[in-house]
Amino acid sequence: MSSAVLEQFRQIGRDLFVAGLISSHGGNMSVRQGDRILITRRGSMLARLEERDLIDIGLEENDANVTLASTEIVVHRAIYRQTSALAIIHTHPPYAIAQSLMKDEIVPVDSEGSYLLHKVPVVEAQLTAGSTEVAELLPRWLKEYDLVMLRGHGPFAIGHLLEEAYQLTSVLEMTCRILSLTEGVGGDVKEYRKGSDQYGSW
Amino acid sequence: MRGARRHGRYTGAVSPATSTSRSLRGLRVDLTTGVSVEDELPPEVAREYLGGRGLGVLLALRGRLYDVDPLAPENLLIFAPGPLTGTGAPASGRYSVTSRSPLTGTVFDGNSGGNWGTALRRLGLDYLVVAGACDSPSYLLVDAGSSSGAGAAGEAPTVTVRPSGDLWGLDVPASLARLRDLHRDCEAGVIGPAGERGVLFASIVNNRGRSIGRGGLGAVMGAKRLKAVVVAGNGAHRPSVGDPERLSFVAYEAEKLLKANPITSQALPEFGTSVLVNVLNQAGALPTRNFRESRFEHAQAISGESLRRDFVQRRAACRGCGIGCARRTSTGDASGEGPEYESIWALGAACGVGELRAIVEANYACNRAGLDTITMGSTIACAMELTEGGQIAGGPRFGDAAAVVALCEATGRGEGLGKELGQGSARLAAHYGRPELSMSVKSLELPAYDPRGMTGQGLAFATSNRGGCHLRANMLGPEILGVPKMIDRFATSGKAGLLINLQNLNAVLDSLSVCKFTGFAMKEDYYARLLSAVWGETVEPQELLRIGERIWNAERLFNLAAGFSRADDTLPRRLLEEPVVSGPAAGRVVDLAPMLGEYYIARGWDGDGRPRAAKLAQLGLSEVAA
Repeated sequence: MSSAVLEQFRQIGRDLFVAGLISSHGGNMSVRQGDRILITRRGSMLARLEERDLIDIGLEENDANVTLASTEIVVHRAIYRQTSALAIIHTHPPYAIAQSLMKDEIVPVDSEGSYLLHKVPVVEAQLTAGSTEVAELLPRWLKEYDLVMLRGHGPFAIGHLLEEAYQLTSVLEMTCRILSLTEGVGGDVKEYRKGSDQYGSW
Repeated sequence: MRGARRHGRYTGAVSPATSTSRSLRGLRVDLTTGVSVEDELPPEVAREYLGGRGLGVLLALRGRLYDVDPLAPENLLIFAPGPLTGTGAPASGRYSVTSRSPLTGTVFDGNSGGNWGTALRRLGLDYLVVAGACDSPSYLLVDAGSSSGAGAAGEAPTVTVRPSGDLWGLDVPASLARLRDLHRDCEAGVIGPAGERGVLFASIVNNRGRSIGRGGLGAVMGAKRLKAVVVAGNGAHRPSVGDPERLSFVAYEAEKLLKANPITSQALPEFGTSVLVNVLNQAGALPTRNFRESRFEHAQAISGESLRRDFVQRRAACRGCGIGCARRTSTGDASGEGPEYESIWALGAACGVGELRAIVEANYACNRAGLDTITMGSTIACAMELTEGGQIAGGPRFGDAAAVVALCEATGRGEGLGKELGQGSARLAAHYGRPELSMSVKSLELPAYDPRGMTGQGLAFATSNRGGCHLRANMLGPEILGVPKMIDRFATSGKAGLLINLQNLNAVLDSLSVCKFTGFAMKEDYYARLLSAVWGETVEPQELLRIGERIWNAERLFNLAAGFSRADDTLPRRLLEEPVVSGPAAGRVVDLAPMLGEYYIARGWDGDGRPRAAKLAQLGLSEVAA
């Protein structure tokens, strides 16, 4: 593993925690390198990643390192197999989770969220952590959307680079904070965007 | 002459405007026999290869062009717009021409803007295959056939091969003007004197001054004694759009992104592509004097800023494009298109020339003759180094601006040293016993990015299916401009996956056919949504990238059948062994081997660079490989 890759994981992991997108030991990240995956260690603290916290494991075949890999390795593998993703970030952001408990899709009202997300589908599974049910469900959605919300659990964001997935995650939480604020205040949101009535069909 | 009679009428029914049928309708013209026939390919072909470049490689494989001499009548020229061409999708007024290149021997497609592709689709045609050769100089006319145009009231296009008469021998602008006199409202792709004389990097140029520039497809036309392919009559057929309202919405959202992105809304509209001169020079990635250095002391004098100040008259755009990267320029004595960034580099920094006026004049000379400016400039740079090394007596020297202009003109005329330069740098350097001085991959000259300053681009050059090319995939985005995000440009690990996605996506864009500059702002999901709206059914982004992967592997299979191997996936020795002398990339070489190994694994290829059986089966290419 190159020091540059480790540094990328460390910086983004720290940012995820500082931004309140994960709890102390929550969330996971990975990148795909050919037929290998570099994924955070099960139980690692993303804000304090060391070299031993990045686990190198096969995309298709298991090896002994599966004992160390994130609980969500089965989901990450399924996503890489079925999408063009080269990086995945899974987090537990509170406002996004709150919105997912009330809605089947999250449609931003703010400008940044509108540009970058248009719409975020909310999907649900009975077993939300590291389950084959989630592994079967999520890739189908991530073929069409770079970010999908698992109800009550958190978003899975994909990109060609970790930074892309991080950006989408960050924008989602900001969008959901704004939604929660406007909904808390009540009243009608004044529309300013041409074509926003079609965002639900994005 | 045999080819000068009226050919059969295309009588196949064309789709009504609202149809979502994806059968591809085309024409096959044999210049030797004088016969043209209508052709149709089933919807599965569109679903698996889209059109444009994808369709081109499929037909090249089916035609076994890898066994054909590129300049023999048996070689094909496959003209094909894509499913988005002429639909209103942003920057989609494009088309591809595919053939086997006489310069590289690989499968080779060129993609161009302008209006030619849209004009063909307005005749209800998705492709045009030209085979054989005329026995005397001619041009091909595909005509709507009436004032109401093809597609209206049963009218269908007619195909004729006409004697070129006094067209043969005219330069490009004069040829286009003459054809406009002959056929009102026509769109033409023509060759200049370079193509007529078989210069191996002759281009095909259309009415808006846009070129099928690289690989010498103009020489293939010249060998067929085909001066021009003309689409005339202002066809009335409208390319079908399954969900027009949806297309309008997605196109609006796409335009919003293009307008919000400073590269597509400010840099390219304001300066054109030449804005990159200073950007690459500051990064230490502007190849100078045949790649002996990677920074040019006169970069500011030949920059986009200088071009705008001293020569630009107005900006121009291809049909349906809101970016408008093209420049109309004037020296006072002459006027014309460009130069683009790559041309400024090739005729300037690569040759050590810092006089912008001379570069503009040399570019005009190439435009008139119908020459690829990148190969032209790079071959002159090679000749300069051969001269300084004593291999060419009395040849041009670095920094000699007048010699660059004169050699461009001489190459078009096939005179003196120009005749030798017309073979490209690989043959020139080999002839003089210094093959390592050709800065090319698979005999195609490298463009204006020194991979010692952006190592991922080195892998892109080495693995490109058409040779040293920045349009198969350009790591300029992630390595220099931070698109989609900035990565370490000197790192070697972890870049293969990113490059493969870029290669696959660009294969898609060339097949749709959409300008790659949209990729500075848009990702694959936008292209998928645009195509979904046009087809009226869902196409997932991942499916689109899988199509790109299929096209890339099909091209690889073609090249393997043509005799290429892992040994050809490399770079000029200078880039692998000679460290950059000074600047931000000082001390750097390209460490290619580990990147190439990672690339083959990520591609699902074996150690020799051959797609594994499982990969071929996954892509539906097993039969093609067999």
